[in-house]
Amino acid sequence: MKRNTQTLPISIDAQQLVVTLNNKKILNNLSFQVSSGEVYALLGGNGAGKSTALKTLLGFHKPVSGQAVIEGLAVSTSLSAIRKKIAYLPENASLYPHLNAFENIEYFLSLAAVHKTHAEIKISLQQVNLQQDAWQKPLSKFSKGMRQKTAIALALLRDSPILLLDEPTSGLDPVAIDEFNQLVMSLAKQGAAILMVTHDVYGACQVAQRIGLLRDGALVGEFVADGGHQIDTEQVHKAFTAGVID
Amino acid sequence: MMRHLVREWRFLLGQNNVVILLCLCCALSSFAIYSGHQEIVAQHFTIERLQLAQQQDQQDILAKHKTPGSLAYYQFHLTYQTPSHLSFAALGDRDLYPWKHRIRMLALEGQIYESDVANPELAYIGKFDFSFLISVLAPLFVILMLHDIIANERNKGRYELLVVTASGSIVLWGYKTLVRFLALSLSMLAPFYIGSALNDVPLYDVLHVSILVLAYLAFWAALTLWFGRQSIFAPRIAATLIGFWVAVTCVIPITGNLLIEKNIEVPKGSEILLLQREIVNQAWDIPAETSLTEFVKTHPEYRVYTEMSEGFHWKWYYAFQQLGDQAVAHLAFDYRNAILTKFDLGGYIAMFAPPVLMRRQLSRMAQTDVISALRYEQSIRDFHQALRLYYYPYLFELHLFDESTLADMPQYSDFARL
Repeated sequence: MKRNTQTLPISIDAQQLVVTLNNKKILNNLSFQVSSGEVYALLGGNGAGKSTALKTLLGFHKPVSGQAVIEGLAVSTSLSAIRKKIAYLPENASLYPHLNAFENIEYFLSLAAVHKTHAEIKISLQQVNLQQDAWQKPLSKFSKGMRQKTAIALALLRDSPILLLDEPTSGLDPVAIDEFNQLVMSLAKQGAAILMVTHDVYGACQVAQRIGLLRDGALVGEFVADGGHQIDTEQVHKAFTAGVID
Repeated sequence: MMRHLVREWRFLLGQNNVVILLCLCCALSSFAIYSGHQEIVAQHFTIERLQLAQQQDQQDILAKHKTPGSLAYYQFHLTYQTPSHLSFAALGDRDLYPWKHRIRMLALEGQIYESDVANPELAYIGKFDFSFLISVLAPLFVILMLHDIIANERNKGRYELLVVTASGSIVLWGYKTLVRFLALSLSMLAPFYIGSALNDVPLYDVLHVSILVLAYLAFWAALTLWFGRQSIFAPRIAATLIGFWVAVTCVIPITGNLLIEKNIEVPKGSEILLLQREIVNQAWDIPAETSLTEFVKTHPEYRVYTEMSEGFHWKWYYAFQQLGDQAVAHLAFDYRNAILTKFDLGGYIAMFAPPVLMRRQLSRMAQTDVISALRYEQSIRDFHQALRLYYYPYLFELHLFDESTLADMPQYSDFARL
């Protein structure tokens, strides 16, 4: 296992985060960094603390010790400024079922005070490959994957320098997963710092330049893509299932 | 700001359950206004009918009875309390306390309390009118509309996405709450505005009621939002708020009413009526001089006119009628005093029961409360007293009584007040 040497500006900096929920330590001195133009995957099993880590970065959980810094601003003190820089894609993105994809996106963008034209929204929906005949249908008629694509389109439209993705490919079919991964990589190339939490080893290896393996709230290892090659899936899978990092 | 309001308004219109709730509020409010308006129209019609009947009756009586004694005996005088412009919105106690009496120059208190078969203030919930809708039911609608604004988003898994996406909490929750609050308020106030136009309510009163209603609903909205922040479970929030509503709408008022009833004794109207009749009937069996001697204690100017040459004289008859009133005056005073005390104590209880406070405010504005009912009673007494003072010189001093003197007879309209 190799440690990456950071050369680009650090966008996300988790510094020894300790988070306790209901008297249980969920994050235990968790530290990692994500640079601009980088995709970082936090990989872990159920209850490893992946979502808690994400929610701590989003300011929903207050660390008992340590701190989270986003683009040089501490989450504890500059939350609203930080949230403006972040696009967040939750797992099972529940948008409003009575609105169609267009209306949902317009509503959320209006909340974010982001102004996009219909044409821009269309482009975004095309980017995520949401079939055009579904655009005007209420989300209640959407499959889980279609809802996820709508949420991804929304995240893209935010034009945020930082993307936090919680199990982003959950519910997507293999083709859509591939398309999504391509999209994520292209966003990273454009300079976005992308943190995704997932338990999908294959997906993480395909898209991430670095993978942090999370267990019991602590980072137990990190894998780094070497010289433009993908991280070795087998090695990560072995470590993930064995629970041991060499 | 308009952009956010338009966004949330369009969003609200897309939520069928919210739209149905708003329509229900509007329908209930319309029904409340309609039934209140119909009731007031019926009261006006009754007054007009009584006025017509009174005119006809007066002509017949005046044609038949030429002496002051018999005219005073047979002539009924119509008294009534005209409903105020706002009465349609708050019928108040007008269905409990009489607002019309036809009285004669006999003993009065019995005539006033003839219809009082029970203490009317025992009744708690009156007719379904606008004041009932606003004070009692509207809080439930506020709770339904606002309790889960945040909790519902959590339950549906949208909370984090919304919070991270929105540019601020005012943009996210503030406008949504404001639009829902305004939509709810408007759904209930719009029928009131139509009712106000139909009843010629002055603009000042319309504004006053609007401010009062908005302030009251804002209180419930603030309470709902505050409770809403204390828990993430919508059913728990709703249950807590409904529990609070039950406490301030039912438990506190009923307990308070029971305590007041237990501690404040109100003479029964029927007691006043019976005692007075007893005194008046007894007067027939005692010497006329006894009654007249008692009478001149309050009217010393007639001391020299108490002799009776015949077995019956109207002056004696009306003297003992007045004595009947004097005999029950303390009871009537106690009655009014007790009613007022209960009203005042009810005011203290209302401090802890906002629905009661709201209803009192509205019925006070509409002049349909106990205070107005007692004022009407007092106006009858004042009028009746003026009638006595008008007739007594003709009865005791035997002044010439002819058609020209009828023009000086007091009219109730000169004493009427809300």
